[in-house]
Amino acid sequence: MLPKFSYVRATSLDEAVRLLSSDDGARVCAGGSDLLGCLRDQVFECSRVVSLTGIDGLRGIARTRDGGVRIGALTTIADVAADPTINQSYPGLAQAAGELASPQLRNQGTIGGNICQKPRCWYYRGDFDCLRKGGTTCHAVAGESEFHCILGGAGCFVVHPSDTAPALVALQATVRIAGRRGTRSVPMEEFYVLPNQDVRRETVLEPHEIVTEIVLPRPAAGMRSSYHKVRARGAWDFALAGVALALQFSGNRVTAGRVVLSGAAPTPWRSREAEEAIIGKQLDAATAAAAGRAAMEDAVPLRRNGYKIPLFQGVIEEALLAIGRA
Amino acid sequence: MRKEPGSRYYVEGIEVPETPEPRSEQEQWTQTEYVGKPRPRVDAYERVSGSAVYPSDTYLPRMLYGAILRCPHPHAVVKGVDTSEAEKMPGVRTVISAFTPDDRATQPHSELIHTTLFSTRCRYEGETVAAVAAETPYQAWDAVRAIQVDYDVLPFVSDERRALDPDAPKVHDEGNQVAPTDTYERGDVAQGFAEADVVLEEIYRAECEIHTPMELHGCVAKWDGDSLTVWESTQGVYNIQAGLAGALGLPLSKVRVVGHYMGGGFGSKLQAGKYTIIAALLAKKAARPVKLTLTREETYLAVGNRPASNMRLKAGVKQDGTLTALEYVGSGASGGYQAGGTSLLDWLVRDLYTCPNVRTELTNIYVNAGPARPMRGPGHPQCAWALDQMMDALAEAIGMDPVELRLKNVPTVSQARGGSPYTTTGLKQCLEEGAAAFRWKETRAAIAREGNTNHLRRGVGMAGGLWAGGAGGPPSTVIIKLFSDGSVNLNMGASDIGTGTKTVMAMVAAEELSVDPDAIQIEHADTGTTQFATASGGSKTVPTEAPAVRAAALDVKRQLLDLAAGEMGVEASGLTLKDGKVVSIDDPSQEREITALRSLRRRRSITGVGYRGPNPQGKAVNPFAAQFCEVEVNTRTGEVKILRFLAAHDSGRVMNRLTYQNQVFGGITMGIGLAMTEARVLDGDQTGKMVNKNWHDYKLPTALDVPADMTCVPIELEDPEANSVGAKGLGEPATIPTAAAVANAVYHATGVRITNTPITPMRLAQALADARKGE
Amino acid sequence: MASRRRKPAGKAQISLVVNGEPTEVAFSPHKTLLEVLREDLGLTGTKHGCELGECGTCTVLLDGQPVLSCLALALACDGKRVETVEGMARGAVLHPLQETFADLGAAQCGYCTPGFLLVAKALLEENPSPTRDQIKQALAGNLCRCTGYLKIYEAVELAAARMQGEEAEAKEETLYGRR
Repeated sequence: MLPKFSYVRATSLDEAVRLLSSDDGARVCAGGSDLLGCLRDQVFECSRVVSLTGIDGLRGIARTRDGGVRIGALTTIADVAADPTINQSYPGLAQAAGELASPQLRNQGTIGGNICQKPRCWYYRGDFDCLRKGGTTCHAVAGESEFHCILGGAGCFVVHPSDTAPALVALQATVRIAGRRGTRSVPMEEFYVLPNQDVRRETVLEPHEIVTEIVLPRPAAGMRSSYHKVRARGAWDFALAGVALALQFSGNRVTAGRVVLSGAAPTPWRSREAEEAIIGKQLDAATAAAAGRAAMEDAVPLRRNGYKIPLFQGVIEEALLAIGRA
Repeated sequence: MRKEPGSRYYVEGIEVPETPEPRSEQEQWTQTEYVGKPRPRVDAYERVSGSAVYPSDTYLPRMLYGAILRCPHPHAVVKGVDTSEAEKMPGVRTVISAFTPDDRATQPHSELIHTTLFSTRCRYEGETVAAVAAETPYQAWDAVRAIQVDYDVLPFVSDERRALDPDAPKVHDEGNQVAPTDTYERGDVAQGFAEADVVLEEIYRAECEIHTPMELHGCVAKWDGDSLTVWESTQGVYNIQAGLAGALGLPLSKVRVVGHYMGGGFGSKLQAGKYTIIAALLAKKAARPVKLTLTREETYLAVGNRPASNMRLKAGVKQDGTLTALEYVGSGASGGYQAGGTSLLDWLVRDLYTCPNVRTELTNIYVNAGPARPMRGPGHPQCAWALDQMMDALAEAIGMDPVELRLKNVPTVSQARGGSPYTTTGLKQCLEEGAAAFRWKETRAAIAREGNTNHLRRGVGMAGGLWAGGAGGPPSTVIIKLFSDGSVNLNMGASDIGTGTKTVMAMVAAEELSVDPDAIQIEHADTGTTQFATASGGSKTVPTEAPAVRAAALDVKRQLLDLAAGEMGVEASGLTLKDGKVVSIDDPSQEREITALRSLRRRRSITGVGYRGPNPQGKAVNPFAAQFCEVEVNTRTGEVKILRFLAAHDSGRVMNRLTYQNQVFGGITMGIGLAMTEARVLDGDQTGKMVNKNWHDYKLPTALDVPADMTCVPIELEDPEANSVGAKGLGEPATIPTAAAVANAVYHATGVRITNTPITPMRLAQALADARKGE
Repeated sequence: MASRRRKPAGKAQISLVVNGEPTEVAFSPHKTLLEVLREDLGLTGTKHGCELGECGTCTVLLDGQPVLSCLALALACDGKRVETVEGMARGAVLHPLQETFADLGAAQCGYCTPGFLLVAKALLEENPSPTRDQIKQALAGNLCRCTGYLKIYEAVELAAARMQGEEAEAKEETLYGRR
């Protein structure tokens, strides 16, 4: 059962920004699939829901002039997963979108909402005193931490739930944001906030700001991308361990690119260690295994998630060998 | 002495009336017109059109909505409840708690769990503290949130493995062991181990599972003067009636419980819940109907679970495959109250495979968590998880095929029942025919031949099983009414919990009365208007009700043939029914349409009564099973793909091919949940609260976790002694061997044995890494 | 300004086309589509499972797309087409999917059935002859605790064949198991 709130469907970005600026209790709603769950679970308060669905131009996928692609924030995940251009030029993003949640949620959820999701930590969502909710403790430290992070945690040990975000970081996407002071662009890699920077927020978005679109650069020559995800069951689940790759090849050799992990850290986690282990090399079994080991060098498991180290090594190895053969 | 299995579901040893001429015409069917054929559900239209009204769909005029305030702590004393704010809120019509001046609220809520309706000492997260009825659900929940409770939070214990430590917090003041450890012994296990060529020992654990039927638990309660009507999502209306009457001090006759449709139960809806009684009390106080549907979270906390089970099994075997000894120590978490934490947890060790020397020990333990309830085959899937993994390990140790080892130890008598013979035991056929249909030997040979060295590895596994219940038994009464136009009313108290009970019963009546099952209207699951039946649980509904239906139909048939004999001038014994006609057996040209019988037209109807007769003396009636599966394991990630499943079941006569397969595939799927995905997680080291009380964090198998290749091989043995239709139970056997079969297949693929459910990529990736380190 | 029309009692009103019928309905603004369908429009064929988007039981078609009505604010559905299980049959004549679900035992307790039916209907409208794998993928967002899903796939396949004009009947193995 949802708490009481008022509902406004904004008809322009200006109006939405104004509504968000003027009311501390206002929350943005795109597809609603994450927001309504949070409200039902009373994760945070909300007195006014500001819907973006009445604003023109926030939906759809189009080529940019420089050969990249813009995805409107309100484009559904299903549309991203099915889009021919995305499938052709950014298959890693299409795979991430296609593996996410469930078919119905992909119809309802939007790409903008997906990258702005709240963590799925069961202490955060549940009836617990939680640091991220303004409480005093992170229960994951001494508690049930099987789904928590092994990298980047500090005080709080959630993992970022999005599947599309690591793919977008790997593909060097940029987020366009509208706010009180106009619009700005932030590279996806800088969009997220680690708990040691601010434990109460996940992204750089100010309360009055709205993600309007995501811009993907034109894929470099020899670019291949992919997304691999291991989860506890076949549908619905977030990644226990996932890896987004966007690698440039020259012949069989990797010349540049990114390796970004999901399910590892409070943000999509770029593994420079893994990148270093593969750049300049052919992706043979030894290189793939070495990259998996390198990615986990700094990992510090909690009490219940030590399995993530071999699991990440396995999925990175798997993903690298597959993309090497592609 | 331990109670016989199944006593939870039915009563043994009582005097029951039998059909007017007991068993006189009840030879086993040989050729059948309807029974045994596939037949769609008689109520399928309602179920697929959205027109079936489930209890949660019941809306009555002037109906209020109830909501329950539950204790957020695993262990606390409620010192005070202040409902004054809540009572003043808009739309709130009544608020009750342990501090309400109403003695009903402090009565024990059922015979099974001795606790007051609202607890002042809460022994699990989710205990009922207060309840509200209001005009809308929103107002009810707002009021619940406005109730102030003064808790004295107590230390708690979540893990039954720690609950017997001397310093563990006490769930009950007398201590955390529910009852003295229960032991069973036959032969001499020390001697048996001494005779063995190989002795293995292993510790197994099955995590706690939650039933989570799709329809939430709940009811609508309405009073008419001093009589109460409750529409409840239940497996047994008469159990709800008894629970309500007992708690409210009402005569049974004044409590009518209706449960026509229900969205699944799996054992969690066998009894009245506290919520049922609370709804009735709220309705009484407000003098308005009250609907009380639990939230999904409440159903995770407070309406039962398959308890976590810890099992240590030591087994001895001779080189030729003869089992010499089994020693088994089991414990289980009853929860906050006495609730069957170790129900039947050792039954398979005692009874599945031939073994002269067996010793078992079971310890039932209180913890600060929701009480257990029977869940699809109580104790059995957990015990199979231990025993059938052990059988696999023994087979490997002596270099024998796992199927061969089991075949070597197929019993002909129920060893746990002092050697009572089984009416039938199809375990051998299940193993042999199942293995042949699965191509067990060929698949194992192919895997061995191809070499299993790639990172994607294939494996096959199997397990056997039996279910200690599944015989059914008295009491049950059924009434059948034949109208002068040849159509039929069937009146029975049993619930159809989705298994197809109504359909099977229509087929049974149709078989005897030679009418189309579509011409049969069924009234069922209503204590006010239908006959007494026990709850639909224990895989006993078909073997209990079908004989009673058959007896009632035979009673009608006898009366009908008597009428016809007078009109046709043929002895009744020389007549039979065929295609809606009375026909002379000797001279088929002598026939008369039922609708043409003058005496029936004058009389308008014939009513027959059938009772379930007693079970055979000195014999055991149990269903048997063997299941086989093939998996593919990604050894890099620990992901397991179940490629196919085959289930061979001896449940006696197949009554309806379609619903039979439904049960088997559904049972396998629930077993895959135990094997692969499901586990309750308690925050035992900190708050003691359940962290995964929702369907995202508590994971049911989805369409992508279940193989699309599932095969059902019915082993249809004639069993005339079991009962007059020759059918045994099926619902529970179908889920008993499944998880063990998966674990054995994963072992076959990887050489890694997972002894703790579920086999998630988390657990398997770690185990595979550990194994690589050890290499 | 906002397109919301306010009613005096704090209720909002929207227009929907429900099962082909233009419908006006007023309700509190925080109500979900699921609640409005069941409580305000009396369409109880759409079932309540979890209210968190974790079971698929409350699936309806919104402008033809399967969505979870528990995670859709009713206000956000203003002007849209909603189809529920009650809209599948034509009078008393069942949709081919409803027929095959009934005939093959794809509905056991039946509680999850409306959600499965609507997802399957949307699938067949988009892809009239899906493969078994496409069916599994499409149905992956609906939980069933009774059937084990297999009968549901078979029912979708049979309905697909019939909707393509084939005089298809259930396979013997589907009805009888292996003999």
